[in-house]
Parts: sequence; structure tokens; C-alpha cells
Amino acid sequence: MSSSAGAAVRLDLPVGADRHERALVRDAQRGSSEAFEQLFRSHWPRAYRAALLVVGDAAAAEDIAQESFLAAVRALDRFDRRRPFGPWLHRIVVNRAIDWSRARALRREHFATAEQAAEEREPSAHARTLAAALGELQPEQRAVIVLRYLLEYTPGEIAQLLDLPRGTVNSRLRRGLDRLREAVHE
Amino acid sequence: MKRLFDAVPVDSEAEERAWGVVREAFAAREPEARRRNWAGPATVLVAAALLAAALSPPGRAVVNAVRRSIGIEGAQPALFRLPAAGRLLVSGGGGTWVVSADGSTRRLGDYVQASWSPHALFVVAATRNELAAVEPATGRVHWQLARPLVRFPRWGGTRTDTRVAYLTDGRLHVVAGDGTGDRAVSSSRIPPVWQPGTSRHVLAYVDGRGRVRLAGGRFASRAYEGARALAWSPDGKTLALAARGEVVLFAIATGRAHVLHVPGVRSLAFAADGRLAMVRGRSVIVDGRTLFVAPSRLAGIAWSPSGRWLLASLPLADQWVFVQTRGVRRVLAVSHIRRQFGGEPSLDGWAPGQ
Repeated sequence: MSSSAGAAVRLDLPVGADRHERALVRDAQRGSSEAFEQLFRSHWPRAYRAALLVVGDAAAAEDIAQESFLAAVRALDRFDRRRPFGPWLHRIVVNRAIDWSRARALRREHFATAEQAAEEREPSAHARTLAAALGELQPEQRAVIVLRYLLEYTPGEIAQLLDLPRGTVNSRLRRGLDRLREAVHE
Repeated sequence: MKRLFDAVPVDSEAEERAWGVVREAFAAREPEARRRNWAGPATVLVAAALLAAALSPPGRAVVNAVRRSIGIEGAQPALFRLPAAGRLLVSGGGGTWVVSADGSTRRLGDYVQASWSPHALFVVAATRNELAAVEPATGRVHWQLARPLVRFPRWGGTRTDTRVAYLTDGRLHVVAGDGTGDRAVSSSRIPPVWQPGTSRHVLAYVDGRGRVRLAGGRFASRAYEGARALAWSPDGKTLALAARGEVVLFAIATGRAHVLHVPGVRSLAFAADGRLAMVRGRSVIVDGRTLFVAPSRLAGIAWSPSGRWLLASLPLADQWVFVQTRGVRRVLAVSHIRRQFGGEPSLDGWAPGQ
């Protein structure tokens, strides 16, 4: 679908769900807006949450998730239906979120984000604690944690998604989890 | 931990906003199979119909009559609605207006030029001696900057980091999206354009010697006579320049210039899918082919967000003309534009959204 879809990452979906998603991708490639909307609706929550947990900014998370879906639209004709849609999308989301986090020192369009922040829904206390603890980690560690525990990829799949050695993924996971435990138990 | 992650709320309004944008993008693409199946026969049928109409005596009479007039016959007496989704921004002697898809209009103020912010959340507008950031829904001014002879305000960047470029007294200036940090860049005379798809704030402009340059990048071209307009392709890889004798497409990564020998182009714009539209005299040219010939001179051009429609202005006829660029060729003309907007408006951009 794009250069970022180079690695063939498998997600262990139930056979029926896998087949259904392939059918949706096929119909979307043939122009069915309904099929693409089903793909969007089923993948949006996890894409948005993943971006939000990595960047910690609702407006940026919306932007990142939306841009990832726009990338999917642009590359839809080239998408290999034998591969699952989710991992490809999550790879883009997480990489963009890491890039955004690295560049967050840049100046903000402050009145826009302030207004959007006022509209944000209030997360639960636990979720707030977790988000705050995640915010203490490096973006690369956050991404690995989110891929493992929100999107439920195996360390091997994460290594493929992020083009990292498996040992690096394991060490980032271990260190990230240790720091999260400390923060959550404080 | 999985339960905690899943407890992070998902903003349903964000989902709907995103779906609106993604749906527009999806609608704008054409599936390969559909293009293969229909493009050929449809083109042949349209060409045959046009040829038959032009060759028959009544058809020729109609064509000649239209050519003699300066406007398009059968135009609607007013702009009742836009033919596609989105919000149109126009400015002129009657101020700056936002036109919604349902035809409702909102006047933002006594501005004479304007453009959308990158995500169409705001408008940057200019009076003769002032630059202002304005909310399109209310006209509320967020910041303003007093400068002499302000022209061509252009807002670029990402949702979280933006810059505004503008000309003041013949000098190109850049100010941050919150109105701070104003600085001069160069001398210039034509509207600058921000490169899309990057957070590096790359601004293309034509300097006082007629050379195309990038502020924030290393590119610089040779000098071109009569440079009139610049436009970026949506992927930010190609920069188009309309000069007096030609249109030049610069591949920014390599610096190579591809010259199109189309003299006299006054306006040009890329659609979201990368098609390049140019206005030359009475003609609208899309990807090298004449899409539409008007009875009188055309001015300005704007793509609908979906890329399905092109809007151009016929100042002599006091009309706007909407031309459908995909599927069946449809031409919708609207009259009495000056009366509706209090003066002859320029087309400042057609953005997504309600």
C-alpha cells in the first residue's frame, strides 16, 4: 500500500473477521463508500486511542488518526488484500505519533488547541493516571507500550511494524512497564 | 493495562469530523475499474454529442450566439447554493464572505483579501493596512497586525504549528500563527505559497528579480519574466509557476524544471488528487487539455474540496461558472455576483466543512 507497508505483519484475527475485512477492503477498492465507512468505524477508536496515548494531545491525536486514514484512501488501489488492514494503519499512526512527539516543542496554534481542549471529554481517574505516567516515557517507549497493550501486538509483530530488532522492543517494553508501574503505584 | 487503555475516551465528535474529511477524500478518488470501464466510451459519446451539436445549423447558431455574448446564457439569477460540499471564501470591494454549501453567506468584515488556515479553522484576512486572524463562523478577530499596504495573506503549517505569510509594502513577511514574531523575508510581488505536507514551514515565493525561491529550503530557480502565480501540488513535491511565456513545473527534490509552453496563464491551482488547472484568457485547462471555454475572459480559479468541480469568475459578465470536471460535463453559471457580494470578489479558496 505504501513503502511503510513493506513488512508482512500478521494479526491473529478470527478467520471470519479476517475474511470480512478483506471483503470490505475489496468493496472499498471498487468504490463502495459504505464498505470504507465500515473499515473507518471499526478501526477509528483504536487508531485514535493509540495516537492519543502516544502524543497526549487530543487535537493532535485526531489529526494523526485522520491523516492516517487519508493515507489509506490515497493508497487503497495499491493495497494487497492478502494483508490485514489494521497493522498497516497502526504502523502509520504510531510512526506519525512518534514524529509528532519529537517535534512537540514547536509553537502551537494556541487558541485552536485551547478551544478543542475545553471540548475534550473527561477521562476516568485511572485513565488519567495512566496517561500521565505514559507522558513520562520517551515517545518510542510509549509507542511500544501502546502497540503491545492497547493494540495487542506481539513483540515480534511490533519489531516488524517499527523496523526494530526484537531485543530493542523487549527492552523498551520492560523499561517502560517498570516506569509505568512505579508511576501508577505512587 | 488493556482495560485502562480501553477506558481512554474516544471523542465521538472527533470521529465524525474525521469521517467527514475521509469521506470527501474517498468520494474524490475514482476506482481503477470504474475508470477503465467508463472513461473511453463516455469520452467518445460526449465528443460525438458535441460534434453533432456544433455541426448542425441550430447548434452552430447557439454556439455563435454564446460566443458573441460575454456571459453564459441560462445562468441562475443568484448563487442559491454551491454544487458541492465545502465553504467558499471570497473577498473584494464588498468585504470578505464565507459561502456555505447551502448558499448561505456570512460577511466577516471589511477585508479585501483573505485565505483559509491549513485546516480551515480560521481565516487570515487583510485590509489595506491591517492583517487579521478571524473565526469564519463568527467573524471574531483573534489578533491583528497594523502594517502598510498589506496584500496576499497566506496561512500554512500543521494544526499545531502554523505561520502566516503576507506582503507589506512590497516586502514578504512571515508571522507565527498566533500573530507574534513578525519578520521580513525578501522583496516580492506575487502571492507566496506554503508547501503542504510538511511541518518544516517551507514557503515558496518569487523574489524581486523574478526567481522562484524557498524560504526554509535551498531551492532557487533562474529568473522568469512576468511571474504571476505559484501553486504547490498536494503532495508538496511539485511547485508550479505561471510566468508570462510559460508554465514551469519544478520537481523540488531534484530541482529539475519541466516547461509547459502555455503562455498567458494568469491563475493556476492543483486539485486534491493532483490535477493542475490553469486559467488562460477564456479557457480553463486541466492537465494540458482544454476543459471549458468561456464567452469572455476568466479570472481566478478554485477547486471544490472533492476535486469534482472547478469555479472560475467571468468579471465582464458579472458571473461565476462552475464546471464539473468528472463524469458528465456540466456547466452551471450564476449571475449578479457583484450585487450579492457588494463588489467583484476574488476566489480565495474552497475548503471542506459545513
